[in-house]
This record gives sequence, C-alpha cells and structure tokens, in this order.
Amino acid sequence: MHRRILLALFAVVGIAQIALADSPSVTAVLSNSEATVGETVELQIKVTGPGDARPPEEISIDGLEIHSTGTSRQFEIHNFSTSSSVTYNYTILPLRAGRFTIPPQTVLAGGKILRTPELALNVADAPGRPPPTTTRPGRSAQSQSANANDMVFAELIVPKKTAYVGEIVPVQIRMGFDARVHPRLTDPPDITGQGFTAQKLQQSSQNLETINGRPFDVVTFKTAIAAARAGKFEIGPVKATAQVVVPRRRNAPRSRSPFDLFDLDDPFSDPFFSNPFAGFGERRDVQITSDPVALEVKPLPPNAPPSFSGAIGSFTMATDAKPKSVQVGDPITVTTTISGRGNFDRVNAPLLEDDRGWHKYPPSSKFKQDDEVGISGTKSFEMVISPNENKQSLPLLAFSYFDPAKEQYVTLHSEPMAITVQGSAAAPAVAAQPPSSAPANAARGRPAILNSNKPQDILYQLTEPSRTVASFEPLYTRRGFWAAQSLPLAALFVFAGWKIRRRRLDDREARRIGALQHEAAQLMHKLRRDDVPPREYYAEASRVVRLKAALAARNRAVDPNAVDVETAAETFKLDTDSRDRLRRLFEQNDEWQYSGTHNGPGRISPENRRDVLELIENLK
Amino acid sequence: MKSRTYLIALLFCAGSAMSAIAQSNTEFAKANQEFAQGNFKEAITGYETLVRAGQWNANLFYDLGNAYFRTRDFGRAILNYERALALDQHHPEATANLQIARDEARALELQPTRVEHYLQFASINQYSIAAAVAFWLGILAIVMVIFARRRSAALISLSILCLLVCAVAVWAIHTLDNGSEGRGLAIVTGNDVQARLATADTANSVLALPPGSEIKILSTRGDWMYAALPNDLRGWIQTKNAEQVRL
Repeated sequence: MHRRILLALFAVVGIAQIALADSPSVTAVLSNSEATVGETVELQIKVTGPGDARPPEEISIDGLEIHSTGTSRQFEIHNFSTSSSVTYNYTILPLRAGRFTIPPQTVLAGGKILRTPELALNVADAPGRPPPTTTRPGRSAQSQSANANDMVFAELIVPKKTAYVGEIVPVQIRMGFDARVHPRLTDPPDITGQGFTAQKLQQSSQNLETINGRPFDVVTFKTAIAAARAGKFEIGPVKATAQVVVPRRRNAPRSRSPFDLFDLDDPFSDPFFSNPFAGFGERRDVQITSDPVALEVKPLPPNAPPSFSGAIGSFTMATDAKPKSVQVGDPITVTTTISGRGNFDRVNAPLLEDDRGWHKYPPSSKFKQDDEVGISGTKSFEMVISPNENKQSLPLLAFSYFDPAKEQYVTLHSEPMAITVQGSAAAPAVAAQPPSSAPANAARGRPAILNSNKPQDILYQLTEPSRTVASFEPLYTRRGFWAAQSLPLAALFVFAGWKIRRRRLDDREARRIGALQHEAAQLMHKLRRDDVPPREYYAEASRVVRLKAALAARNRAVDPNAVDVETAAETFKLDTDSRDRLRRLFEQNDEWQYSGTHNGPGRISPENRRDVLELIENLK
Repeated sequence: MKSRTYLIALLFCAGSAMSAIAQSNTEFAKANQEFAQGNFKEAITGYETLVRAGQWNANLFYDLGNAYFRTRDFGRAILNYERALALDQHHPEATANLQIARDEARALELQPTRVEHYLQFASINQYSIAAAVAFWLGILAIVMVIFARRRSAALISLSILCLLVCAVAVWAIHTLDNGSEGRGLAIVTGNDVQARLATADTANSVLALPPGSEIKILSTRGDWMYAALPNDLRGWIQTKNAEQVRL
C-alpha cells in the first residue's frame, strides 16, 4: 500500500517536473571563428529541453564543406530538477578564403521551431599551401584491396618563397591518417635537405578533417628553419614512417556495396572496416613522403651597423635601470627587453654607444618564447654597469637587426635616462687603514665597489709562521671532538652512580630508623599496660630509652644496644634530677635482669609506672 | 726492556715532528725571501709546496694570496685570502687584502641570507663547542632532576634552557655549513668564465663570472658543477674554473 503511494508521489513529482521544465532552446557555436583554407572548424548545435529534436539535415554554404560528424546527449539531475540536451556536431572545411556567414538553421524541438543564431567564419588563404588534391589520397587504379599508402598523406607548408641567410622561416608539416586505420607514428617526420638548420619539431594540433569525402586525422607539426647560406634550396621532402592497420589481402573478389562510392577503389569498402570480426587486420609500416618546397635564400646586404649581431626579424626594445641615484663605483642594473619575432638565438645584448667613464660587466639573458618553436617572444638582458666618475645620464644602448620585410637594417636606441651619481672618484686607500678597521664586505651580491681609480696596494707579507697546523674541517666533523665527549659522558656516569649509591644508603638508614621507631612505639604501648611484670617492664623501659637515644643521634647511626645511661643522658642533655631518675631506671632494670631475686614488691606501683612513663615521654 | 722501546719510539716520533716543523719553517722562510726579492712565481711554488704538505695555517694562505695578487692572478689571490679567513675568521690582513683583490678583479660575491648574516657573529667551531657544553649541562640538569628528592623548577628550567641552546647551536651549524660561506663555497679561478644553463659550452649563458667570484657548489656531474651564483642565479660551471675554499 505504502509502496503504491510512494510510486504515485514520484509520478506526480515527475509529471510536475516535466510540466515545469523550461521550454526547449537552441544555441550554435563555432570552435574557431578564424581559419585558413583547408583547416577544419567544428560547429556544434546544442538543443536543450524536453522532447525529440530534429537537426538540420544538410547545411550547404558555397565555399564551405559541412558534414555531420555525430550526436551526443547529456542528461543531468540537479536538486530534483532534470535537464537534457542534445549536441549535433558538424565539421566545416573551408574550400576558399573569404568571410562566410552561416545563416540561422531551423531545428524542430518539442513541437516548436527553433532557430540557431547567425555565425560568421573568416577564412584566410593558407600561403604556400599546395592544392589539396595534389598530395592527398585519391583513387588508385590498381587498388583492388586496401592500399596502405592511400590512407596517409604528408604535406610541407613553407609560407615564404624567399628568405635571407639566417632568417627564421616558420614551417608546418601536416600528416593525415585515415581515421579508421589506427595509425601509430613510428618515425617522426623529418625534413630532409641541405643548407639549412631546422628546429625541433613541436606537435601543434590534431584535427579531424574530411578530405575527398573521407575522414582524416590530421596532425600538424610546427618548426622553423634558417638557411645557412645563400642560394636556391629545396626544402624537404618530409619523410616519416607510421604503422597502420589494414585488412588482410583476399584472393576472392569482393562484391560491390551499393554504398560504395569509389567503385571498389575505396580500401574501406573492405568488410574488415564494417565488421571487425569478418577478418583480422594486419599492421603494416607505411612510408609517408611529402613534396619538396623550393626556397630562394638571399645574402644579407653589406654595411651592417656595429651593433648588429645577426638578429633578423622584427623587434622592439625597452630599457630600464635601477637604481637611478648612486655613488661613484656603485652598480646600476640596466634591464633591456627585446620583444618581437625572429631568430632570438642571434639576439645579443645591446651595446653601450659611449662607455667612457663606465665600467660594464658581461650581461645575463633570459628568453621567454610566446610560441611553440620560439620564433616570437621576449629576450631580457641584465647588464651591470658602474660609473667611474660623475654622470648625469645613462649611456645610450643600441640594438640593430635586419628587417626582411623592409629589407634593410634597423637600429633601435634606448631612451635617454637621467641618473644621479654622487661622490668623487678618489677614495682613501685601504692599505692605509689599520688592520682592525679593514673594510667589511659591504658589497655582497653586487660587484665589488672600486673605491679609487688608483690601484690600491695590498698589505705586507707575514713572515711569522704559525705554530699549529690548522684544519678546514669543522670541529664537529673531527674525531677528537667526539672523543672529547666521552669525558663529560664518563663524568655523568660517575655522578649518576654516586647518586644511586647515596640513595641506596639513605634508604637503608631510613629503614633502620623506621624499625627503631616501630619498636619504640610498640614498647611504649606495652609499658602503658598494668599487667606487665616488673622484670619485663624495666627491661622494656630501658630498651625504649636506648631506642630513643639511638633515634635522637640519627646522623651518627648509633646502635641502640650500645647506649648506656650516660650516653642517653648526654644525648638528651638531661638535668641532674632527670639524669638520676634515668640512672635509677637502668639500675632497677639491671637488678631485675641480673640479681635473680626480687628486691622489692612483685608488682610495680602505679606511682613508679607513672614516673617511668613520664621520664620516657620527656626524653626528646 | 719494553719501556725502553716505547721511550725510544716516542723520542723518534717527537724528533720527526720537530724535524718536519723545522723543515716547513725553512720552506716558509725561503718562500718569503723569494717574495721579498720579487720572485713571485718561485714564492708561489714554495708556498704551494707547504700547502700540498698539509702545513696549513692562515698566514701561509695569506702570503700565498699576496703572491698570486702580485702575479695579477686575482682569482687565486681571493681564493687563498678566503682560505686564510676560513682558518682564522679574524685575520685582519687577509680581510683587508681580500677587499682590495675583489675591487681589482670586480669579483661578484654571494649574498648571505639575513639569518646567516646574524649567525656569522660566531664560527661553526664556536657553535660546536656551545652545542656540546649546552648539551652536557642540559643532560646533567636532567639527571639531577631525576635524582633530586623534590622536583626543582630551577633545575627543570636550566635543563630546558640548555637543550634549547644546544638545538639553536646545532641549527646555526647546519645553516652556516650549508650557507653561502659554508662547505660548498668555491671561488672562480678561471678567466672569462660563464655560468651556463646546461652542461655544454654551447648552452646559453646565465652569468659571466669575473675571477674571484664566489659560487656555492650544489652538485657535480662529470666535469661540470651546478652552483648557486651571485644575484640568486644558478648555473653550470666547468670544475676546472673554480676551486673549493675548504681543502
């Protein structure tokens, strides 16, 4: 019963959710609004909302080849609210340059007619790009079975036909693999040829492109080349090796598929590609070769400026200096930033136009590249200079490069920078100072400051030999240091042993005293009783006196058996009367112990008992 | 019979030691004489012989530094002044001449951290002694606390204080020993030395190091060493271009 109620509740909530769901909407985006001819762009049309959607079946725009590449669905639940969307993917292949407008497309969703926004795509011409059909796979007359060479292609794109010696020319290598052959690049592409240097290849992008109606995975590599000498060169061809999976060769001819648009020339009409269980494929190595590209290399014009170090390209320069107020001899760090596009490996630090009165140190440099191959970026130089005399401004810095676009040398100059230099060039010689006031290392982390233009002379030679041989080893690494630690360790052991022994002795004494006190207390308890016979009474009374005397002489460890009446009297410093009473007590004890007869009454009178008890209790 | 053998052996050892000292003093005097006569290269040979023999002392390195200074080999002059100061932190002549040599060579120096700067008021050896004394005092105080009949607050405080001093001294030793003037300190002795980004002569330069510049060796790989450089930089330098201060 409860279950039915729960189900009904869920059904009501579900219907309410659907009823309350937003009405369907549609958006369309391009993966890139700028492209070059032959570069694919992804178009996504996303329909959000309930119900089935029907996307545009065909988008036809003159100059663009648009194909549907698939559909993906998303379903999301957030806080009991559901949303679903369908994304329709298209690949756009620009066939020519120009500005294209993708008009609003009609989408039927949830019984409504929706329209996508209008999209714009700018297509630029790809310079140096060969016609797409020349190097791409086409039909092969001999191909009755899958031909591995038809599944791959390579093309070398060099944007310039002429360049200067040393000029960096960016180069693109595009390698296409049929999407169904599971390619694996075993040998990366290599640009063959002589007379130029190539930088390390960087994989730039990987796109899916439709070429001649077939999908290709196109991998783009970027690099840069620089010609080493003038002349006409052939760049390339690019060579690479890849492994691809192709169907095994069959003896029996295949039946033609009604959908075979290639008249059996399409290697992928093989059942292998439509049904992987129809036959196992085989891995085959494929050599991929592109067409070479011609490049004419011109020599640099003569009469290069003095600050030209071989930089070719287009650059800008910015300069800063810190600090701007210094003393003579203090270092100033001049930071120069050269940004732009060109052969940064030949960009050297700018030169000082007039370095008179300045001391300069070799500069350091850092390069931050802005692209994959390091053609564009920023190179920073830090140069330390120090004024040897009073100056009002920093010397101008000059940097020259050859601009291939203008076909001339360009020299950049830093802006004049005012500085304040204080102090005079002359300074007291250190040698004249007493040794105790020798200069401290004030210029740590900076170049040492020149205090005088006149070379200072060093101090005298020391002819007194040292009596001891010193060591560079720190004390804590020497054996002697650790051996010396055995002395305090031994002392510590001795101290601990002595302490332990003392404690044991103290404990023994404490136990002895405790025993004496216990015995004295027990005897006192007995003495207070009336039924104790006189012989025993006096013996115990005198024993208590001895015990008390021994306890009173605590530090001397007196044996209670060795205490006589005089010792006890002396210990307690008794007066004459008490001394006599104590003497009588001991005499009576001796009488009872040694006479063997009874000299008095058989019982102790209460007065005597009280007298004895009083005497004993007063012994303190 | 046995004791006589021991005595003879002892006398022989003492005699050998005395003879070695006398010989080194003679060598030292001879090298000084060469220096006084202006024969700096011969003086350097004499001093270097003593260094190789292990007769190290601050004055020997100072004089060797002076000899190198006279031959205008500022890198090695600075190296030997640094060695003299490593053996005797308060060697006034070495301090003065080191500054002059640095001025001449325009050598770069490593910047000690602020902590190192404050810790340098004492040497590693002094910190070692302080650590040992504080440790044993602390341990003694702990033992006394253990054996005392009553826990003494003063003893407990003393033990904590001593162990704290010991810990600070150990930390100071570690900081100084691994710092800019520690065991890794080396001096650039070659000319036109460039610290590079990688272990290749063609690698990009990080910093040009004038002779006498200080570096701190971080690791070595073959003929190259990776070093901390002045201005908080790091780079690779060929081992032949720098020598460690501590022998």
